[in-house]
Amino acid sequence: MVVAANPLAAEAGLEMLKSGGNAVDAAVAACFALNAAEPFASGLGGGGWMLIYLAKERRATVIDYRERAPAAAHPRMYELDGKVQQAWREAHGLAVAVPGAPAGWALALGKYGTRTLAEVSRRGAEIAERGFAVSATFSAINKDEYEKILANAGEETCFLNQGIPFEPGEAFKNPDLAGTFRLLAEKGVGEFYKGQTARKIVEAVRAKGGVMTLEDLASYEAREVTPLRGSYKDFSLVTIPPPSSGGVHAIQLLNILENWPLRDWGQNSPVLIHHVAEALRFVFADREKYLGDPDFLSIPVEGLCDKASARRIAQRILPDRVLGDYPYSTFDAHRPGGNTTHLCVIDREGNIVSLTQSINLFFATGIVPEGTGVLLNDMMDDFSENPGSINAPNSRRRPLSSMAPMILLKKEEPFLVLGSPGGTRIFSTLAQIILNVVEFGMSLDEAIEAPRFFSYSVRGKIRPLAIEPRLAEETQAALRKLGHELAVKEAYDKYFGGAQGIMILRDKKLLLGGADSRRDGAGAGY
Amino acid sequence: MKKSIMTSACVFVLSAFLLGAAPAGRTEGVFEQPILLTSAGQSADVQLANVLIKKAGLSCTLGKLAADKDLEGHKTLILVLGASLKGLGAAGLDMAKENARVEGLLAAAKAKNIPLLCLHLGGADRRGQTTDEMTAAYLPQARMAIIVKSGNQDGFFTKICQSHNIPLVEAEKTIDAADPIKKAFK
Repeated sequence: MVVAANPLAAEAGLEMLKSGGNAVDAAVAACFALNAAEPFASGLGGGGWMLIYLAKERRATVIDYRERAPAAAHPRMYELDGKVQQAWREAHGLAVAVPGAPAGWALALGKYGTRTLAEVSRRGAEIAERGFAVSATFSAINKDEYEKILANAGEETCFLNQGIPFEPGEAFKNPDLAGTFRLLAEKGVGEFYKGQTARKIVEAVRAKGGVMTLEDLASYEAREVTPLRGSYKDFSLVTIPPPSSGGVHAIQLLNILENWPLRDWGQNSPVLIHHVAEALRFVFADREKYLGDPDFLSIPVEGLCDKASARRIAQRILPDRVLGDYPYSTFDAHRPGGNTTHLCVIDREGNIVSLTQSINLFFATGIVPEGTGVLLNDMMDDFSENPGSINAPNSRRRPLSSMAPMILLKKEEPFLVLGSPGGTRIFSTLAQIILNVVEFGMSLDEAIEAPRFFSYSVRGKIRPLAIEPRLAEETQAALRKLGHELAVKEAYDKYFGGAQGIMILRDKKLLLGGADSRRDGAGAGY
Repeated sequence: MKKSIMTSACVFVLSAFLLGAAPAGRTEGVFEQPILLTSAGQSADVQLANVLIKKAGLSCTLGKLAADKDLEGHKTLILVLGASLKGLGAAGLDMAKENARVEGLLAAAKAKNIPLLCLHLGGADRRGQTTDEMTAAYLPQARMAIIVKSGNQDGFFTKICQSHNIPLVEAEKTIDAADPIKKAFK
């Protein structure tokens, strides 16, 4: 079974499974197809993490292909006359980090797959070349990001229809991307990092004011890292380590939530939402204080994932009002730790891939190297704008992320494969889905579709509580009474992510796929 | 019974009058170049207008934050209606400042006898309280309006144009607006 943010990608993965490919082959085939069919969210120009569970060995591993800052990056690179230029962080050559996706997909395929790059990229190339009818989601996002696309990709780009955003139903094609896929299939991913594609990338980035060099691309390597483990009640959790904060904070948040009688409180009850929102505000205080690139920083992963430390946070939260101030946790010693799309795959052998990747904001920088069809990421925006932050941009550092592809295990057997896009909302969204399944007995689809909420803190100060207005009026009123300022979003808002998951019911020999209607998610199985 | 039928018939005629086609009036050869193009609400639709104007074979000066002094040397002002919090934020504006700018610009255009063409290109997605309030305030000052049809499903633009005798052209899709823009100019 394959569940992805776009039906064409789910089908591409399924085709690979049906033809005898394993979960990694199918996941990488779905990645190429997603690049063609959902180009605004992920692709060759971005990066991410692939969590792989190997059934025979009963072990998990992680392929880390997070983007990396160019060597010339520095903490004040976005300042002009002492003022941070937000546009430079999002839609400028300085916003582009060295992409990791081609290297990551190739590493996963080479080590754990059974197919060649040519085989897994074929379906994606066909989708890019033949095109498809644009969905309402694609059209709405295309309109939202129009100005950036027009400014950086130009009127003639395939990402606009004769210079105008696509309307639903109109045909979108990206033949240049199909050409790039075929070039990589023929020459290998070295072409992307050291060949003519690399030269085109550097030329495009520098033409828009960036500092990336050929050496930055040539020296990039994806790597295999050890997963992070945690638990929630009787369930074990396997996820990804820093420089994503998503795994650490998903575990930390669930550890805090373990201290309360959530089932008695009821799903999305005011008391539950209040406690989770307050917990999130403490979690974000820790995120701001401790999380960054582990190659350059000592991150107290064990302390952050520690149950006793979580209990102390839970004890500070008051049942009858918001605290307003959320100091970060302190630990005895620091020990070194070990805008996005998500897809899940499980094959007939029980191998699993849970993968989250991104080019950051929708349509990323809007910069497309000539003739490549590749949208270049604006992942440098994931660095802090504060030059004093531990997550400030710097030479060859990797920016902090919130991605958290994960696998929940019941009695050490995979039970729920889960992940979501959604920026800093990711781990909150995933924790809510886990609660909906584990505490409230919802089906995966119900759990994903249920109304969501989110809050955070900045420098320890409270931020509003964002909600989907499907929450009952009385619930909203009760939350206001507890002191929460509510930020009411759309009924099914992409702000809260677009989760995809697979539930494995061994006793019933059933696989249940769940895809989020907040995006164009779809599942495909056989 | 008869009275009831008569009442219904009157309501039908009145509805047709309020919601029906735009008032008759010239929609071709109305305006002259040079054109000053600006936004009311700082949405990206002003860039859409810029592209459509080029496709129409016309040229314009785009001034997202145009002020009265920018009218110098221009014979038509095009105002693109559509509020965007993202656009306002990027421009460092709030609605009060944006309204003050647009009001000043329209007053100066009126004083200089420069006619106003209003565009609404974002369709249904670009409707909302703020855009509607701006439209209600500025559209009555236009000599003509061109809009994308899906933004007028409730007859909002028709009603305003009808009551101020402003010719209104509806385009089926955004790209189709290039043609009436072209025809609107001499």
